[in-house]
Amino acid sequence: MSAPIDASTPVLRLRHVSTDITLRRGVVHALDRVDLEVRQGETLGVVGESGSGKTMTALSVMGLLPHGGRVVGGEILFEGQDLLSLPPAEVRAIRGVRMGMVFQDPLTSLNPTMRIGAQVSEPLRVHQGVGKAEARERAVEILRRVGMPRPEKIVEAYPHQLSGGMRQRVVIAMALVCSPRLLIADEPTTALDVTTQRQILDLIDDLREEYEMAVILVTHDLGVIASRADRVAVMYAGRVVESAATADLFRSPRHRYTEALMESLPGAAARENGSRARLYSIPGLPPDLSRPLTGCRFASRCRHVTQACRTTEVVLAGEEHRHACLHPVAEPPVTARAVTPAVPAAVPAAVTATATGSVITTVTAAAPAAGPGSGPAEGPDVPAVEPILSVRGLVKNYEAAGGGLRRRAGQVSAVAGVSFDVRPGETFGLVGESGCGKSTVGRLVVGLEQPSDGRIVVDGADIATLDRRARRRMHRQVQLMFQDSYAAMNPRMRIDAILSEPLEIQQDGDPGTRRSRVATLLDQVGLSRRVLERYPHEFSGGQLQRIGLARSLALRPRLIVGDEPVSALDVSIQAQVLNLMRDLQRELDLAYVFISHDLSVVDYMADRIGVMYLGKLVEVGPAHDVVRAARHPYTQALIDAVPAAEPGVAVRPSVAISGELPSAQNPPSGCRFRTRCPFAEQICESEPPLTGGAHQVACHFPLRG
Amino acid sequence: MITTTETTETTETPLDADDAPVRGLWRQGLSVFAENRLALVGLALFVVLGAICFLGPLFYQTDQVHTDLASVHLPPGTAGHPLGTDGVGYDQLGRLMLGGQTSLVVGLAAGVLATFVGTLWGAIAGFAGGWVDAAMMRVVDAMMSIPSLFLFMLMATIVTPSVPMLILIIGAFAWLGPARLVRGEALTLRSREYVHAMRSMGGTGGRAVRRHIIPNAIGTVIVNATFQVADAILYVAYLSFLGLGVPPPAANWGGMLSDGLADTYSGHWWLLYPPGIAIILIVLAFNFMGDGLRDVFEVRLRRR
Amino acid sequence: MARYLITRLGQALVIVVLVTMITFVILHLLPGGVARATLGKEATLEQLAAFDHEMGYDQPWAQQYVMYVQRLLSGDLGYSFQLNQSVTEAIGQRLPKTMVLSLLSTLLAIVVAVPLGVVQAVRRNRWPDYAITALSLLAYATPIFFLGLMMIIVFSQVWPILPPEAPQGFTLGEVLADPAGLVLPTVTLAVVTIAVYSRYVRSSMVDNLNENYVRTARSKGLSEGRVVGLHTLRNGLFPVITLLGMYLPALFSGALVVESLFNFPGMGQLFWQAALKRDFPILFGVTLIIAVATVVGALLADLLYAVADPRVRLRAGRA
Repeated sequence: MSAPIDASTPVLRLRHVSTDITLRRGVVHALDRVDLEVRQGETLGVVGESGSGKTMTALSVMGLLPHGGRVVGGEILFEGQDLLSLPPAEVRAIRGVRMGMVFQDPLTSLNPTMRIGAQVSEPLRVHQGVGKAEARERAVEILRRVGMPRPEKIVEAYPHQLSGGMRQRVVIAMALVCSPRLLIADEPTTALDVTTQRQILDLIDDLREEYEMAVILVTHDLGVIASRADRVAVMYAGRVVESAATADLFRSPRHRYTEALMESLPGAAARENGSRARLYSIPGLPPDLSRPLTGCRFASRCRHVTQACRTTEVVLAGEEHRHACLHPVAEPPVTARAVTPAVPAAVPAAVTATATGSVITTVTAAAPAAGPGSGPAEGPDVPAVEPILSVRGLVKNYEAAGGGLRRRAGQVSAVAGVSFDVRPGETFGLVGESGCGKSTVGRLVVGLEQPSDGRIVVDGADIATLDRRARRRMHRQVQLMFQDSYAAMNPRMRIDAILSEPLEIQQDGDPGTRRSRVATLLDQVGLSRRVLERYPHEFSGGQLQRIGLARSLALRPRLIVGDEPVSALDVSIQAQVLNLMRDLQRELDLAYVFISHDLSVVDYMADRIGVMYLGKLVEVGPAHDVVRAARHPYTQALIDAVPAAEPGVAVRPSVAISGELPSAQNPPSGCRFRTRCPFAEQICESEPPLTGGAHQVACHFPLRG
Repeated sequence: MITTTETTETTETPLDADDAPVRGLWRQGLSVFAENRLALVGLALFVVLGAICFLGPLFYQTDQVHTDLASVHLPPGTAGHPLGTDGVGYDQLGRLMLGGQTSLVVGLAAGVLATFVGTLWGAIAGFAGGWVDAAMMRVVDAMMSIPSLFLFMLMATIVTPSVPMLILIIGAFAWLGPARLVRGEALTLRSREYVHAMRSMGGTGGRAVRRHIIPNAIGTVIVNATFQVADAILYVAYLSFLGLGVPPPAANWGGMLSDGLADTYSGHWWLLYPPGIAIILIVLAFNFMGDGLRDVFEVRLRRR
Repeated sequence: MARYLITRLGQALVIVVLVTMITFVILHLLPGGVARATLGKEATLEQLAAFDHEMGYDQPWAQQYVMYVQRLLSGDLGYSFQLNQSVTEAIGQRLPKTMVLSLLSTLLAIVVAVPLGVVQAVRRNRWPDYAITALSLLAYATPIFFLGLMMIIVFSQVWPILPPEAPQGFTLGEVLADPAGLVLPTVTLAVVTIAVYSRYVRSSMVDNLNENYVRTARSKGLSEGRVVGLHTLRNGLFPVITLLGMYLPALFSGALVVESLFNFPGMGQLFWQAALKRDFPILFGVTLIIAVATVVGALLADLLYAVADPRVRLRAGRA
């Protein structure tokens, strides 16, 4: 190697590793000559979109490739030994003791019928012949180390008795029980909420230092990489296209793909608030890896492509900052890119989180935020305008499941008194973690469910008072856009039938006018007419989302409720859909209720934001104010938990929350956040009203006046 | 018309689906069925056996009404009787054709009847939900807890078995399986996102059933129907073996097989094995076809 | 868990009540009425009327049903004039033998089917899988009595090592005293069961082997044997427990055929002979008892499942 950082040899080194996966129809060349290395005590971030090969790289190292997968070339050197040339039994021993892996989905990666203690201590028992009693003791010890409360009891528990975050801690404990030299974490926090994500990433960081191990952090999230990795490898279509020190890469990406990817992030555009710039969206789709490819694999989607790109095989070159691009971005650093909203400079409260997760708080001056909120661009000049949607005191309770003979098992309070307005042409963002009731609000608004209490007024008409026919007409005004458009389309209907169904239901026009309306819709979402004769399973996620949007537009609604409409998409595809949604909003004067767990996306899309916690709206206000001058401690915690993407900016949290989300079946009285709030006092047992002018908050001790 | 100039950058998204030829679901399904070699074998078996039973007698005419006690138990190969004759002088090959007709007709009709009744019952229970569903399904549970062969026998002792009666009896009790299946299917389909999507456009429950639920449930029903037919053919055989099948001179493979049992020790193997093998083949054929059809209906749901 | 038990128990009870209603309804479908069916063709009109009055068949339907249930509850299933024996007594003699036959073949089926299914799942889409699948389908397509006959031909004629007929003892002890005679009936009944079970074990194991927790187990460097044997097998077998219950009706149907073929003195044979002689008290009594046995068996299987699987056992609350 030309550029050693220190004298020690890397813990793991991949040289020209190629992996094939044999499927029923042909062979997918998942990895093509991948070079990577990671040293002791270092975190290597591997980042890429779905299909880029990042997970296949991890699985190749671990020898856990799926059925039909095989490493077909190269070397995987672990502490100098090539794992590919060792007999299977030795590889197994290495895998179990000196490497550890953490997987994406903690809910399914534990054996459901084996006690936690037995699973955690299994490597000790198998590889090191540790006795039962001692193994149990060590399991308790490591569980305590990863921050499990009451580990003596947890060892006797089964996975289904733990929450997702707790299960991920168990998986980490299991990976670490033999003190490995290398920990591979494959999307360890993707399935978790941001506040939990933060706890888990902190834990991995702490453990890396303590165990002096090497960590490979595989993720699609540039924010996570920026805040956690020492070095980064960017993957695209089975290859590493760029690798550099983290700060270097984020300050001056060289490969055109990396550059484009960063420009696609909503956080990048949200910075210039007021007149938010369009996101750059990478056109097209990644190449099909089962076909022979020549040249740069990004060429077909690149802005700077030349003929040479399509024919020349470019390899990773350079010293410390390596890239494989013929026309790299010029050296001088581009202006800093922020992936997520920056934390306001004046942090009102400094909170130090201890290792166990308890929180010591020092409230400093809670200086009232200076500005009256946003710029006029957010448009609080409104009372004159009649809202398109007005929600008042919305309540939805569900019967708790598992009833059986006795009915009254209890009620789940999904939505507990939510009120907000949406004005024509504006985007109202609804943000919160899973289980906060934001999706339920969306379903209530479109009439998929009946509220237990409260009013929903659409365009001046209370939908509860409408008769059948008027109710049906109401659906013209309000449409729903789904997270998973594939699931939301009947697999046996062609796209033409899918798109004309809303018109048929509302008896809008005759077949001829419907056909031309469908054609218009396709133009609007940028799809060719050829899609009409196809079935949903023939499309990719981004295309389906366009079709879904087209269907929502069919009846010329005035309000579209988008329930996590881009959450399942890769960053570059997400940018395409977000741009499209904004373009259409401007042209058609649409209002959106944009529901998402992703604060940076909501910040980019929304004019106003409502933050939900456990069925309650805790804060509502202009997007800019809510994100940059949050008043509710929960909102601030949410903002802080989003990994700040400016490398080196290791922001200490101003509000870090610990613990678990309480059950909605038995929510805390008063302020529902008080059980996890660092500022909670006696008075919080009474419910705080949502007060304030344009920027409302429901808190007895708001962060900013 | 409103066109969006800004979106042109993505308008020419290279749909990789665009390269592929447009094919209808039936064509896609057909090619999947053809890919499953066992399914093709099943189909071929069904066609061949069906042709022999229903078209065979046109070319190979035998007397299956009058007994011929002068030529009983003739071994195969005897002039005019390629498969020999049975204990009352019927030509065995001709009798196989005749018996096959009964087995196939009863099997198909009972299978279809059971599927029809079961689908109706299950669909109603699934859509009604609540306590109507609970009550209807408890009835199914109760009837299912009486082993079906006991029920068939009980009914067969009460009414005199004939071909239509057999169809009715088997159909009247074999619908329980499909009912359970369709009810479960209806419950899942009812909560699918695309049904929610349709309702959020203002669609009615009736439309959900017509346009979304029935087209998606039909695959399960058809696949199950083939297995029902296979089971019905076996049940007819069991009833015959237990002495409650269709009385002579009518014949069916099950009855011929049970009659053949008596001849085991006398060496008249041609009375035993041909009907036995015929039953096995036709039951296998329906099972194979069912497997292939399952692939066909699943492929449409499978993403690339 | 307690709630699950109570719910499941209640369900079983409702089903048993419904079963009595179904038999009650079929009873009234009898040509010539219950009295004629019970007393036979020779009975005089006076006898019929006396019988109807005694049994309450001249009462309204609801009343009749209540009386019917009352008789059932007191253990009175009727009287078979043809056997000159009370139905309860006749069934009492036969039921244990059928239970033994069913239990033995179920045990045999489990012992054979589980390894077969596991081998299929582990060697999925390779020749052992295809071979076992082919055999299962063949076994499923063969009428049981044809299969049984093949067994008799092979094992007591061509290669005479086993008797072609089941033991004819009057008591359970006498039947069990002749284990050789039990072999062929047990194996015949087990073959179809094996075919069904092994298919089920296979698909359950395949599902489990595709689960993420298996990958986690492999990441711990465990041997394939430990991954399959310790982690997957147990989870794969839980659903098989419920299958034991669901399969009972088919098992009893099979026993009916097998008992008739091998002349095994159990419930099936009793029922068969009663059917040929149109002995209705026996027919209805056996039907009812077999149905109750099925319900109880399914209930036991479900309870066993609930106890065995911690996901059900510890459903309430989180630690």
